[in-house]
Amino acid sequence: MLHLAVLAPFLAAVLIPFFYKALRKIHTGWFVLPVPLLLFLFLSTYFKDVWRGVHNVYTLDWIPSLGINFSLYIDGLSLFFALLITGIGTLVVLYSIYYLHITEKLGHFYVYLLLFMGAMLGVVLSDNLFILYTFWELTSISSFLLIGYWYYREGSKYGALKSMLITVFGGLSMLGGFLLLYTVTGTPSIREIIERSDLVLNDTAFPWILILILLGAFTKSAQFPFHTWLPDAMEAPTPVSAFLHSATMVKAGLYLVARLSLLFAGNDLFFILVTGFGLLTLCWGSYMAVRQTDLKAILAYSTISQLGMIMAMLGFGTGVAILAAVFHILNHATFKGSLFMVAGIVDHETGTRDIRRLGGLFTFMPITATLAFFGTFSMAGFPLPIFNGFLSKEMFFESSRHFEHASPLVETVAPVLPVLAVLGSIFTFVYSVMLFFRTFAGKQRDTLEKKPHEAPFGMLVSPLILVSLIVIIALLPNFFNERLLAPAVAAINGEHFESHIKFWHGWGNPALYMSLIVLAVGTFLYLIRTKWESFYQILPGKLSAAKSYDAIVNGIFKGSTSLTRAYMTGSIRSYMAYILVFFIILISVTMTVTDGFAMSLEDLAPLAVPEFSIAVIMAAAAIGTVLMKNRIAAILVLGIVGYGLSLLFVFFRAPDLALTQLIVETVTVALFLLCFYHLPDLKKEYQSARKKVVNLVISVSVGVIVTLVAISSHSTKLFEPISDYFIENSYELGGGDNIVNVILVDFRGLDTMLEILVLGLAAIGIYSMIKLKGKKGENE
Amino acid sequence: MSNLAILPILLPLLTGIMLVFINKQKTLVKVITGIMVFVNLAVVSWIGSVVFQEGPLVLEAGDWPAPFGIVIVADQLAMVLVITTNLIAVASAFYAFRSLDEQRERYYFYALFQLLIAGVSGAFLTGDLFNLFVFFEVLLMASYGLIVLGGTKEQLRESLKYILINLFSSILFVTTVAFLYSVVGTVNMAQLAERVADVEQQGILTTIAILLFLVFATKGALFPLYFWLPRSYSAPPTVISALFGALLTKVGVYSILRVFSLIFIYKLEFTHQFFIYMAGFTILFGVIGALSTNNVKLIVAYNIIPAVGFMMAGIGVFSATALAGTIYYLVHDMIIKAALFFLVGTMAAISGTYDLRKMGGLIKHHPLLGWMFFIAALALAGLPPFSGFIGKFLLLKGAVEEDHYGIVAVGLIGSLLILLSIIKIFLNGFWGEARLAPEQEKASENGRLFPVALLLIFTIALGLGAEFFYPGIQGIADSLVDPSIYIDAVIKE
Repeated sequence: MLHLAVLAPFLAAVLIPFFYKALRKIHTGWFVLPVPLLLFLFLSTYFKDVWRGVHNVYTLDWIPSLGINFSLYIDGLSLFFALLITGIGTLVVLYSIYYLHITEKLGHFYVYLLLFMGAMLGVVLSDNLFILYTFWELTSISSFLLIGYWYYREGSKYGALKSMLITVFGGLSMLGGFLLLYTVTGTPSIREIIERSDLVLNDTAFPWILILILLGAFTKSAQFPFHTWLPDAMEAPTPVSAFLHSATMVKAGLYLVARLSLLFAGNDLFFILVTGFGLLTLCWGSYMAVRQTDLKAILAYSTISQLGMIMAMLGFGTGVAILAAVFHILNHATFKGSLFMVAGIVDHETGTRDIRRLGGLFTFMPITATLAFFGTFSMAGFPLPIFNGFLSKEMFFESSRHFEHASPLVETVAPVLPVLAVLGSIFTFVYSVMLFFRTFAGKQRDTLEKKPHEAPFGMLVSPLILVSLIVIIALLPNFFNERLLAPAVAAINGEHFESHIKFWHGWGNPALYMSLIVLAVGTFLYLIRTKWESFYQILPGKLSAAKSYDAIVNGIFKGSTSLTRAYMTGSIRSYMAYILVFFIILISVTMTVTDGFAMSLEDLAPLAVPEFSIAVIMAAAAIGTVLMKNRIAAILVLGIVGYGLSLLFVFFRAPDLALTQLIVETVTVALFLLCFYHLPDLKKEYQSARKKVVNLVISVSVGVIVTLVAISSHSTKLFEPISDYFIENSYELGGGDNIVNVILVDFRGLDTMLEILVLGLAAIGIYSMIKLKGKKGENE
Repeated sequence: MSNLAILPILLPLLTGIMLVFINKQKTLVKVITGIMVFVNLAVVSWIGSVVFQEGPLVLEAGDWPAPFGIVIVADQLAMVLVITTNLIAVASAFYAFRSLDEQRERYYFYALFQLLIAGVSGAFLTGDLFNLFVFFEVLLMASYGLIVLGGTKEQLRESLKYILINLFSSILFVTTVAFLYSVVGTVNMAQLAERVADVEQQGILTTIAILLFLVFATKGALFPLYFWLPRSYSAPPTVISALFGALLTKVGVYSILRVFSLIFIYKLEFTHQFFIYMAGFTILFGVIGALSTNNVKLIVAYNIIPAVGFMMAGIGVFSATALAGTIYYLVHDMIIKAALFFLVGTMAAISGTYDLRKMGGLIKHHPLLGWMFFIAALALAGLPPFSGFIGKFLLLKGAVEEDHYGIVAVGLIGSLLILLSIIKIFLNGFWGEARLAPEQEKASENGRLFPVALLLIFTIALGLGAEFFYPGIQGIADSLVDPSIYIDAVIKE
């Protein structure tokens, strides 16, 4: 059944185009809506198993011989994510029905969206590393398609490619890490790998495994410096941004780290990397968010920063931290999801998302503004018991201060962590406040294309539900904690973690003061923001991850082009030169290394004057050919080589070969003479002396090497040749006196037949070349 | 029974010769070609199933016993490749029907095509090194005929380089066979394997082995011997490019695989280690080439090179897993290269140019073409669940198990760059502002997409249905690691 749940979105994706085509009048979204909704309800039934501590595993064979099986595993963590995906999915589909006009290409949109949903469910439910990888890449691909939904826009193309390159890069690294894990542990099952964690931790490849897998997680979850794809991904339609790029897909990296933290937990390298990059991302993302002017860009950087914060908590690895991380994943989905929807509403109803042009919208769209109020202040972690964001933020502060059984390394860095946590949260506060006040408060700054008005009710339903959740979770945190969060924490930590989420911890609670610092400094910085805005020119200044990405991608294209142009000259001479130089180096090295050279003087024919003089003449003629300035002279001199060879055959008592050689030589020389008659005179080619010397060296070396190999081959006769069989049997079995003839027509008759075929092919080839030449054959 | 082994050579050979004589009847030529490609595919599939059930079929040509006569050895490896070759032949024939101009059809395209298939199948099937040379000549001569067919200026210019470099490697081939014969006194591959094993590949034998490698590597387009490939493969009409891209380089790879898993396996630390370096450079330089151009056909042609690099990596690692990867990748690559050539050929036919900078927005009016291309691109880059992933998975797994981390890194980076090089076509050709003239919008590509669909079905089947194919492939790889299986099948004593 669970398999069916994962596959259901794919099945629906196949069916949707038919609905789209057949029922144009009805918004396709209505047909899609039941899919996530039913899945959500179905998945909720697993609660009772999870509460009882029963973890179901279902396996469907895919490639059992490779250990790649479609096995699904449902525990607190996967259930938590699966519900998040289907729950937010339902709301997003509902919202999209009002957001996307019926004239858009809805068929495509919902197919991609369903593909994504299925893939994402696959990621969080897979127990098999390689199935997880498969779904992981599928989420990248569907994200690519969704970002490129408006494919005719340059920005969409750019954003789509960027997100795909970065996340697929991470995916491939992760695949490398998975392969190492598989080899080290001998199992592709995540549960079994975790059981064999000491094998992994003690392996020499462990740092590689960790780094490669974290690369996958960091790219997907937009951690610094890979975060740069996320702002560009905002080219996607807003429902997509709300769904993929804030609530679900970008949390796949968090999921992966959480899923494997039992494996890595307590390792210093894991702690440093995950905490370090998490906090860095938190600070950088929130700092950069303040600078943005586009609503969706602010939200994108805000998402980056929040993901960093959750990542850091997973790095802390303590019970409180993990609980806070899971809690914040839930809270983030509620407030960021609603904020994206609000941003979409603003864009939809005013025609712009630029906060420099917006303002005073509270008057026109009070409901939207109220929704935004809850979203932003929850995000800011404003200390009121109606904002769930505050609860998890305070737990974050709390967890940044306590490390049980810390290693020396952790103790060294521990004091810095709360400082960074507060720093990042201050900027979070600033941009949250900015987002709300500059959009909804004050006066309208600019005349907009559309007269702003409140959104239709349908569009408000989804954010309304999410905002209600903000408040409900804030008021009843332990209701959710016991049922939803605790099982997830238990799955990450491996043990049940007892905890009670409280709004008020008393005056002695340091986290409270951290919150108050954030509130005070944040408000102050917001009020004087024009004074310190110039600081952005120092940091980041000209540095930016986006520019580095562009430089790398352009560098790849430019570098490839210039490198390839440098050696693909199009000239056969240089190609031959490369090939021959490689030949010389390779063969001489091989002969030296393997000690191949051998020279034996036995079994040599006595050297007499005639053979010797013929050899000298042949050599002289071969050299002469190169020096001739006239084609006909060259071919005649070359003829001397051929005729000399036939003479040698005569001396070595092979009259039939001599005859053959004689005929072949005569015919080729005659043919060449006939052809050359039609060719223009040989032009003297000017080549630099250096080139000539190089060519000379190359050709002499090739000659020397071939000669050396020939001498060695002749001198290393290790076995009796099979030719004795031919000598013995050619008369008796082959019925011929001439052994060569019998070999040609009988023993190896197949070769001869095929060589005849080769000649026939050559004839056809030349005939069609000549006949078709000049006629302008249409290419294609 | 063993006579079956020659059928995959004989059928296209006879068909080709017959087509030469009935060349004037254009319809009849097409009908016969259309029927015969299916007949061939059916016959080789049947032979393949016999081989997989009952073991290799060995035919001693003219009944001269091995090792004295020529043997045709239809073992599992050969049959898998022959079946794939004939699958490509079916797709190519139908693509040719839809795309080739009448002039080229009249000047013996179909005859040359059948004889090319005969040569390629023969190269896979022969168990005799000199006979391999002869089959190389057959397929090369057919390819010379095809590459100049039409005689456009570009074709003539590029075919000259193609022919010269191949001629060089052919001369080297026959010289090397002579050297080898001098040392071990035989050209029968099974006996070569036996004898080289007896003397543990001593003395000059490794040098001769590397000479053979050079010959095959030139045909297979390995770094730094592939210079002739990209332009000459993209000069002729698409269907010819597809045939070349799918089949010819693979014959080189197959020969390396055969010779260096059967005969020269006693200096692994030198030869096979060297192959891994070759593989790495081939992957990188090949994909760099693919990134360097905006000519869609050239991008696909360049992408032949890194694929060969992947296969070489498996031969270099030389474990049963890695070799299975090589074979899987070989089959995958034959199919996907043909499909990609057909796809870019169709793109070019619709938009009237090969220049990516002049294309755009094709998906609006040609969605089927676009999505087929998208799938093919993902398969090429080796993303799951398509065929490329299984091959790559096996290759990388084999390399990791044998601690060859360097080639794993190159393979992963290479995959990303391959994806970039091919998705660029999708991004700029299918997405973006539409640039088609009204009559181009209506241009029909449906006839051409049928062969592509056929190939893509196999790509998907090889991925999703890997459980059906993989055990057989792994069986082949297991038998490659143990040469005695091949030797015993050929030399019965």
